[in-house]
Amino acid sequence: MNSWGHVLIRVLIYLVAAPLLGGLLAGIDRRISARMQSRVGPPLLQPFYDVAKLWSKEPIVVRRSQNFYIIFFFLLTVFTGGLFFCGSDLLLVFFALTLSGIFFILGAYKASSPYSFVGASRELIQVMAYEPIVLLTAVGLYMATGTFQVDAIWGGAFHPLKALPGAHIPVLLLPGVFVALLYAMEIKFRKSPFDLAASHHAHQELVRGITTEFSGPTLAMIEVAHWYENVMLLGWIFLFFGSCWPAGLIACAVTYFLLLVVDNVCARVKWPVMLRSAWGMTLVFGFGNIVVLSLLK
Amino acid sequence: MSGLTRSPWVIHYDASSCNGCDIEVLASLTPGFDVERFGIINTGNPKHADIFLVTGSVNQPNRDVVRSIYEQMPEPRVVMALGICATSGGIFRECYNVAGGVDTVIPVDVYVPGCAVRPEAIIDGVVMALGILEKRRLRLRQDAQATSGDLRIERATAEDIPEILTIQKIAYRSEAEIYADQSLPPLQQSLAEITHDYERMVFFKGVINGKIVASVRGYDNGQGTAHLLRLSVHPYFQGRGYGQRLVAAIEQSFPACRRFEIFTGHRSERNQHLYGKLGYARFKSEPFNPQVEWVYMEKQRS
Amino acid sequence: MGLIPLLIAVPFLIGLALLLITRDCIRKPVVAAGVLAVMAGSVLLAALPSISPNLFQLPLLQGVVNRELANRAMLIVEGAISLYLIWVGLRSSQWQKWLIPLLVVGQAALLLPLELGGGHHPAVAQNLFCDKFSIIMALIIGIVGGLICLYALGYMREFHESHHPEMPDRRNRFFAILFIFLGAMYGVVFANNLFWLYFFWEITTLSSFWLIGYKGNDESRRNARRALVMNLAGGLGFAAAIYWQVRSGHPASLDAMIASGAAVALLPAALLAFAGITKSAQLPFSSWLLGAMVAPTPVSALLHSSTMVNAGVYLVLRMSPILRDTTAGLLVASVGALTFLATSLVAITASDAKKVLAYSTIANLGLIVLCGGIGTPAAVWAGVLLIVFHAIAKGLLFLCVGVIEHKLHSRDINDMSGLILKMPRLSIMLQIGMAGMFLAPFGMLISKWAVLKAVVDAQPLLSFFIVFGSAATLFFWVKWMGVLLEVTQPHANVERNIGRGEWVALYALAGLTFGTCMLFPLLSSFLIVPYVKAQYHLADFSVMGQGNVIIMIIMLALVSLFPLSFLHYGRHVKVVDPYLGGANTGQGNQFTGSAGAVHGMSMQNYYLSAMLPEAKLMLAGVVLAGLLLAGLLLGVALV
Repeated sequence: MNSWGHVLIRVLIYLVAAPLLGGLLAGIDRRISARMQSRVGPPLLQPFYDVAKLWSKEPIVVRRSQNFYIIFFFLLTVFTGGLFFCGSDLLLVFFALTLSGIFFILGAYKASSPYSFVGASRELIQVMAYEPIVLLTAVGLYMATGTFQVDAIWGGAFHPLKALPGAHIPVLLLPGVFVALLYAMEIKFRKSPFDLAASHHAHQELVRGITTEFSGPTLAMIEVAHWYENVMLLGWIFLFFGSCWPAGLIACAVTYFLLLVVDNVCARVKWPVMLRSAWGMTLVFGFGNIVVLSLLK
Repeated sequence: MSGLTRSPWVIHYDASSCNGCDIEVLASLTPGFDVERFGIINTGNPKHADIFLVTGSVNQPNRDVVRSIYEQMPEPRVVMALGICATSGGIFRECYNVAGGVDTVIPVDVYVPGCAVRPEAIIDGVVMALGILEKRRLRLRQDAQATSGDLRIERATAEDIPEILTIQKIAYRSEAEIYADQSLPPLQQSLAEITHDYERMVFFKGVINGKIVASVRGYDNGQGTAHLLRLSVHPYFQGRGYGQRLVAAIEQSFPACRRFEIFTGHRSERNQHLYGKLGYARFKSEPFNPQVEWVYMEKQRS
Repeated sequence: MGLIPLLIAVPFLIGLALLLITRDCIRKPVVAAGVLAVMAGSVLLAALPSISPNLFQLPLLQGVVNRELANRAMLIVEGAISLYLIWVGLRSSQWQKWLIPLLVVGQAALLLPLELGGGHHPAVAQNLFCDKFSIIMALIIGIVGGLICLYALGYMREFHESHHPEMPDRRNRFFAILFIFLGAMYGVVFANNLFWLYFFWEITTLSSFWLIGYKGNDESRRNARRALVMNLAGGLGFAAAIYWQVRSGHPASLDAMIASGAAVALLPAALLAFAGITKSAQLPFSSWLLGAMVAPTPVSALLHSSTMVNAGVYLVLRMSPILRDTTAGLLVASVGALTFLATSLVAITASDAKKVLAYSTIANLGLIVLCGGIGTPAAVWAGVLLIVFHAIAKGLLFLCVGVIEHKLHSRDINDMSGLILKMPRLSIMLQIGMAGMFLAPFGMLISKWAVLKAVVDAQPLLSFFIVFGSAATLFFWVKWMGVLLEVTQPHANVERNIGRGEWVALYALAGLTFGTCMLFPLLSSFLIVPYVKAQYHLADFSVMGQGNVIIMIIMLALVSLFPLSFLHYGRHVKVVDPYLGGANTGQGNQFTGSAGAVHGMSMQNYYLSAMLPEAKLMLAGVVLAGLLLAGLLLGVALV
């Protein structure tokens, strides 16, 4: 199962398929959003056109080194996804993702424009808001399955709580963690009401927030990195369903749709609301779940 | 079609509009028109935008803002003047605080008239802009060796003539202001007249990223003297030495001539200074009308 | 004389010599030689492959020093220290007037009868010992401590000559205490006899007291006394532990305690952990470390981040085989976890660079205490790793901040905007240090990974503190990094007149931060894993699978490619102004406001001080941790 060749093939498939899937998802996203607003919406392949367009634009910068950070943001995001889909340690995946996110933030700080600076600061608050539940997800999955290895969780390999009904599907043991993670997903997918750092929609007080000063090929790179990231985030949702993959696929689809609905019906909140509520959710649902689980043990 | 034409992102700026056109711009984003169907997104950020939509005539404080936004847009980019005020200054044209239409500040590619401009017209204009964007993208790719933003000087062709006339009229607005006289010939020239000029003269154009920003023309009088005239540089690109480079280039194209002649108004000190730097010296002057006196300058080829 | 007694004695002797040297030109070579000696000694100790505990057993020491004589000498010095401290106490104000003498007398009352009683208690076979943990600590003391002393040479000259000309120049005393302190630290990590350990422990307390009060103004004296009181309280716990151990008829030595296990030694172990908690400035005692930041920066780096506070966690980690799976251990772990969370949150609100570093130090020590309290082999492995990475990276950060403070005349983080232009090399080192503190795949993150794993295995509920604390840690480091990078206007380079010793220390520590991460698998397999195996009598032990180590190294390699991107600096890009709504003036971040007025702008980070009120949070932390510790001590008293 874990031979090098096998891992290599999986990584290659991921490298090619993830951006295609991610781009398509973004297209579906925009189309469904448009329908919800009784518009027709752009073609399904619109995100790919956008990226192709951005790639052909002239590179402009404010600070000469600002794009280097984005290149590493891109590389590390891809690397993180690779780690995840070749089934390695979940904690390492989370740490690596944090690292890539930090490169993104530092790039925006480096650009030294007030809009990107505020965007970066807000992005940082967002990271702080979702980091606890992301780590608790790892903790919860570990308690439910006895391993941090993504591969083993997918394989449904080992369950110390086998005696409990439904123990072979982690989400049944971790409903609270799952709910809190969904809340954090709204932040991670940069959807309203938590699109504080960079909104998809124009005419906000922050211009384009964290991406304000990135343009052309660099912006294209940020977009593609987000596609990779989004696919991996859905992978996390999938993870909660262990070896029961049809349920996992349905859950991913439902989750994404849910995120869209919330995106379209909510106005953006201020950061204290986001931070308090995300931490509150983590505490009540996420940690509450962990407490229950540790009592069951 | 490339990605560019399927995903034109716009930035909209109101340079002193009455908001009539602005409302129409925003109306195009509504479900009724839904410009996102064509991949059009209103970014609100010059760094992400391909098309610059300006509404309203440009008043003095907004000159710098319009320039600054234009400067911060990556190539290839297109500027659209929306509404009659933006295209020509409209009813505010003579206002003390108004610089004029958008093209007095930055080069404009597409003029969309209307008061207020209709969403259909805006969308039509954007479609027109897409053709220009695509042409410009290909041009940029062709001279990939040249850094973007370099001036290229070349012989103009017949299809450049309307654009050259536009640049001429923009460039000579400052002359008209000096003499408070709108009747100066460069401003009154019609398309038919300039086409006639083209048949007997050599036209040179200065191009930046596929956009004509300067031009000059000249002819050989058959007695060893080349007459140069109508040197025009778009106000946005003035003060960068483009005029000097154009004159030098056109001089080269008359190898048979030993003497060059050029003229300007008696109060056009900037022009006289520029020609002086190029080696021209004043040799005569004659009145054109009660306000303006033409100053003739000449230069011998060394 | 064996290497270890030499390591302890030589710094003491150099320290005494330095006391007499008042001229800078003589002091310089002496300090440099002393630094070389301790570094060489530590490295030699680690490098000699033939090292075994036997090599350093008593006969080697006894050949030169009479054991009884050593005991007597220590007793005399201890007595002198006690009298001095009582005198200090009597001269201070209000409650400290009573508390300090009370604490000193309390310790003496517990220990004096035992020491004078001589042969009544079981003899300690070995006064000194040396295992892999001691070697790791010795390497930290020798290398990091040595580098900081080197740095202090130039720093203190500038401190006195340019920044505090009004203060009397007492540098001879300063360096003397630094070296005496180094000797005492070696003593702490090599002492097996609890009496000896206690002796060195008290010397570190005393050095800390002197150095915090070095500036001699009211604030520093007040803070020095506060530090003294809290450390003496820990000392009292230490004395009580010895008293219990001896009275119950066991030898007063570390190895005996650990060998006898939780059934016998839990009580003194809990008391020693209490002493460790005070020394490591855990809640509720954190305030002394924050106050200690008034001392000159080398002191903050050496005593209050890299070495002395590590003595506390060293002791807790030593006790961890006993504390494992006990309520006492859980209480200790909870204190650590609580401290980690509370101080990480509070660090967000601080804008004084040294204060941020102090809070972060307390937080990281909390993480180590947490490991020690949990006490599983994996936790101990993570704890030792944390000590190593933290000592190096935090030492580097303090030294950087020290230089920056001298050059910018401020240590406010907001004033560090544009530092990458003002002091490019220092700001890069600062970034390396910060990366070392919290970023994957640098050291601390490896350890944090291991801590989380160990915690989830042993006590999942404590993961609460770690996940929230980690999020806060990330926030305050990244916002600081951001400020260092952003550039809103041109700045002149002010990175001049920095002494050679300072550069050597900075470069070496920056290199070590990176190097220890690169070589962490070796560090783990040659030093930490053998220690854990020996301590827990395990035949086989590994925390991190080979696959994960490979992933970490790939990540590290990837990140180290980052500087290479600067080879491409400024090519093929067009530089434009930042977007300011089009109102740019063409001059950096200036913009044209209404009526054509030109405004500048500055950018400030979030400090969340409304959401995280420092005073309230710390108070809550102190109360909660106080309750936990009260529970611990009450448990001890009841048993």
